Amino acid sequence: MTGPRDLNAQIESLVNRLRRRQVVGSWCVSIETAMLLRQVVSATRWNQVETLIKVVKEDVGRRLVMAQPRELAVGNIVCRVLRLIREVYNSEDATFDDNSAEDNDKDSNTDDDEKDEEIKSKSSQKIRTFSFYGGSGTGTNTQSSMINLLGDGSPMGAKRASVDDYRKPPNLKPLIISELQEMINELENTYVNIIDQAMEHIHSNEIIMTVGKSRTVEMFLKTAAKKRKFSVLVAETFPTYLGHEMALSLSEAGIDTTVISDSAIFAVMSRVNKVIMGTHAVLANGGLISVSGAQMVATAAKHHSKPVVVCTGLYKLSPLYPYDEDSFNDLVAPDPVFSFNEGDLIDKVTLLNPYYDYVSPELVSLFITNTGGHPPSYLYRLINENYDPDDTDI
Amino acid sequence: MDPVKKTAKELKAERRALQERQRAEKAARAAGNAAVPAKKPASGSGASTTVGSTSATSTTATPLSETAGSTKTTDSKQRHSLTKEINSKQVDMFSHLEITKGANTGLAPKEIHPAILVLGLQFSEFKICGANARCIAALTAFQKVIQDYKTPEGMGNAIRHLKWEISTIDIEMSDDEAKKLLCEKIDNFIRDSITVADRVIVEYGLQKIQDGDVILTYARSSVVQQLLLEAHTKGIKFKVIIIDSRPRLEGKKLLNCLVNAGINCTYAFLHAVGFAMRDVSKVFLGAHAFMSNGALYSRVGTAMVAMMAKEKNIPVIICCETYKFTDKVQLDSFVMNEQGNPNDIVNISTTLAPKPGLLSEWLNKPDLKLLNLLYDLTPSKYITTVITEVGMIPCTSVPVILREYKPMVQ
Repeated sequence: MTGPRDLNAQIESLVNRLRRRQVVGSWCVSIETAMLLRQVVSATRWNQVETLIKVVKEDVGRRLVMAQPRELAVGNIVCRVLRLIREVYNSEDATFDDNSAEDNDKDSNTDDDEKDEEIKSKSSQKIRTFSFYGGSGTGTNTQSSMINLLGDGSPMGAKRASVDDYRKPPNLKPLIISELQEMINELENTYVNIIDQAMEHIHSNEIIMTVGKSRTVEMFLKTAAKKRKFSVLVAETFPTYLGHEMALSLSEAGIDTTVISDSAIFAVMSRVNKVIMGTHAVLANGGLISVSGAQMVATAAKHHSKPVVVCTGLYKLSPLYPYDEDSFNDLVAPDPVFSFNEGDLIDKVTLLNPYYDYVSPELVSLFITNTGGHPPSYLYRLINENYDPDDTDI
Repeated sequence: MDPVKKTAKELKAERRALQERQRAEKAARAAGNAAVPAKKPASGSGASTTVGSTSATSTTATPLSETAGSTKTTDSKQRHSLTKEINSKQVDMFSHLEITKGANTGLAPKEIHPAILVLGLQFSEFKICGANARCIAALTAFQKVIQDYKTPEGMGNAIRHLKWEISTIDIEMSDDEAKKLLCEKIDNFIRDSITVADRVIVEYGLQKIQDGDVILTYARSSVVQQLLLEAHTKGIKFKVIIIDSRPRLEGKKLLNCLVNAGINCTYAFLHAVGFAMRDVSKVFLGAHAFMSNGALYSRVGTAMVAMMAKEKNIPVIICCETYKFTDKVQLDSFVMNEQGNPNDIVNISTTLAPKPGLLSEWLNKPDLKLLNLLYDLTPSKYITTVITEVGMIPCTSVPVILREYKPMVQ
C-alpha cells in the first residue's frame, strides 16, 4: 500500500519546510500542521486509540516540533489534535454506557428535589447542546462532574476510568476526521471571526498605537477604517523595520498613519487612546512572546494607564509556562545593529539583538480572539478546554 | 581694485547660469523622481564645490557668504519644494512645533558673523551633539564675534547700551579691556559651569560605581562618558551596556571612546532594553535641561530607559550641571520639543552610508506621515538622584538650587 510511504513523504516535506522556515507565519504553520495530522489519522493503520495517540504525539508531533522549536503553533496544534482524539474516544466510549445511564436519570428525576431535577435536566441538556457542537467530549466531562457533585453517578465514574480500555468503539475514525476538519475550518476562519469584533473596540477620532507587523492587527484596523475615522501611530520596530511595512500597508488603506521612531514611544503615549498589537505566541500564564520592542510599548502604556489589546487567534495559545523567559527567545544576527564595516570594534564588543520580547500578563488588558474577547485571567479555561495536561511534554 | 563689486557681478552671472542648469535638472528629475531625501544633506557641500571651481577669482576672506549666495540658488528651489511638502505633512499633535528646515545660510542677513553661520550649520546638521558641546561651541563663537568686533564711528551711545546689555561692565573701560573682560567672563563661565562642574560631578559619581557593577547608559552624555573613563582609570572593575537609538545613533561614538579605553562594553538598541536590563545594577543618564518640577528634558528615548529601569527597581542616576536647571515647568513631551528632519527615518542604515528603506516614497502617500522627535520628558518619579556640582540632590530639589545658587548660575 502506498499509504504509509506517501504519508512519510508528506511528513518529511513539512518537517523540511519548517526547518528551512519556508512556511512563514503561525497561521500558515497551523493550517499545514492540522492538515498533515488529518492525513496521518486517515492514512495510518490503527486499531486502538493508544496507537493513534502514540503516532500523532511521538512519531509525527515531536518531529514537527523539533523542526522549528520557536514556532509554538506547531506544538499547539498537535496538542489540540491529541485532545480531540481523546475527547471523541471518551464520548464514544461514554455513549456506549450512556444508554444505561440515561435510564437511571429518568428514574431519579421523579423522586428527587426540584433543585436536583433542574441540575440533572440541565446536565442532560448540556449533553445535547454539546453534541450539537459536533460531539465534543466536554459534554461527557460536564455530565460526569455535574453528577459527581450530587454524590451520585458511580457507574459513570467507574466507566470513566476505562480510557485504557482496549475496546474500540465503531466509527471512531470518521468522527475524529470530521472533528479535525472542523478544527481546520475554525483555523481558516480565524481572521474573519476576529475582525468582526473590530467595530466594538475602535471609535472615531481615536489614536491607536501599534508595534511590529501583524496580519491580524492589519485586517482588524482596516475593517474598522471602513466605517470609522481614526489615526494610527506605528512604532518603526528596529531592526526588523516591520513598522515601516505596516505603516505603508495601513496608509494604502486610507488610514491616517504616522511612523515614529522607537525612542519616541514614551513621549507620545500620553496622547494615545489604546495600544493594539499582535503577538507571536501566548503562553499559559497570559504572557506574550512578541516582537522585540513590544515590552517597551506595553510598559509605557501601563504607566500611562492605556489599555493594551492583543489580537490573536486561539491557535497561538500555548500550554507552556514561562518558567524561564529566555527559553523562548532567540538572539539573531547583530548585523543590523552593528555591521561588519564598522571594523575593529566588532571583536571587543558584545552585541545584543534579541528577536522576541516577553511581555508579562499584567501588562495586557484584553485578548481579542476568534472566540471573542477574553482577559488574561481567563486563558487557563481555554487551555483546559483545548489541551490535555499529558501532552505538554511533546 | 574693487574686488567686491567684480565678484558680485560675476556671482550674478554664475547664479543665472546655475538657475538655468537647475531648471533643466528639475525637469529631468521630475520624470525620474530621484532620491531627493538622500540628496539634501549632501547637496550643501556639493553645491559649494561647484561654485568653488567656477569662481576662480574669488579669493576673498569670506568664502562662506559667497558660497552662501550661490548655494541659495541651487538648494533653495530644491529645499523650498521639499519643505513645502514636509510642512503639509505635519503631524497634528506636534503642529505647534516647527520642523527644522535645515540651515539655509543664503537667507541669513549679511551682517551675521561667519562664525555664527558656521555654528548654525553645524547645529542643524547635528555635527555638534549634546548640550555641553553645543553650549561651549556657542560661547566660543560669541568670543570670536567679540574679538573681531570694531566699534563703528558715531555710535558710541548705542554701543555703550549694547555693552551694558551684555554684562555690567564699567562704561569707562576701554574697548580692548572690555573685550578682554567679556572673553574672560565667557571663559570663566565655561570653566566654572561646565569643565570644573564636570570634574566635580565625576568625583561624586565615582562614589556610586563599585567593583562588579553593570552600568547602563543611553545615547551619549559627555559627563557620563567622563565619569566612566575616570572610573576605569581608577581601576574599578565594571561593565557598561550602551543603549542606542535611531536615527541619531549617538551611542556609537560613546562605544568607540569606551572600547578604546579598554572598558568591557555591550552595545544594543532600544528595542532590547528589556532584555538587557536584567543584569544591570545602575543606570546613568545625561541631561539637556532640568525643569523646575523635577522633570528631565533629554534625548528622546531617555524616558523609556528610565521607565524600564524603574520597573525593575534599578536606580536611575542623572549627571547634570546646574547651568542646565531652568525655571520652566513641563508636564509632558508635547509642550516644548523639537522635531528633526522626518527624512532621517527613511534612511534605514546604521552606518554612514545612507540606505533608503521602504518609506522613501512617503511624500507621495497622502495618509502617511513621519515623526522625528528629538527630545522627551522623563517624569521625576523615575529618577532616583541627580549628581550636580553642588552635590547629590533628589530631582525635586531643582528649584531650591535655582533659588539658592542663582547668582552663581548667572
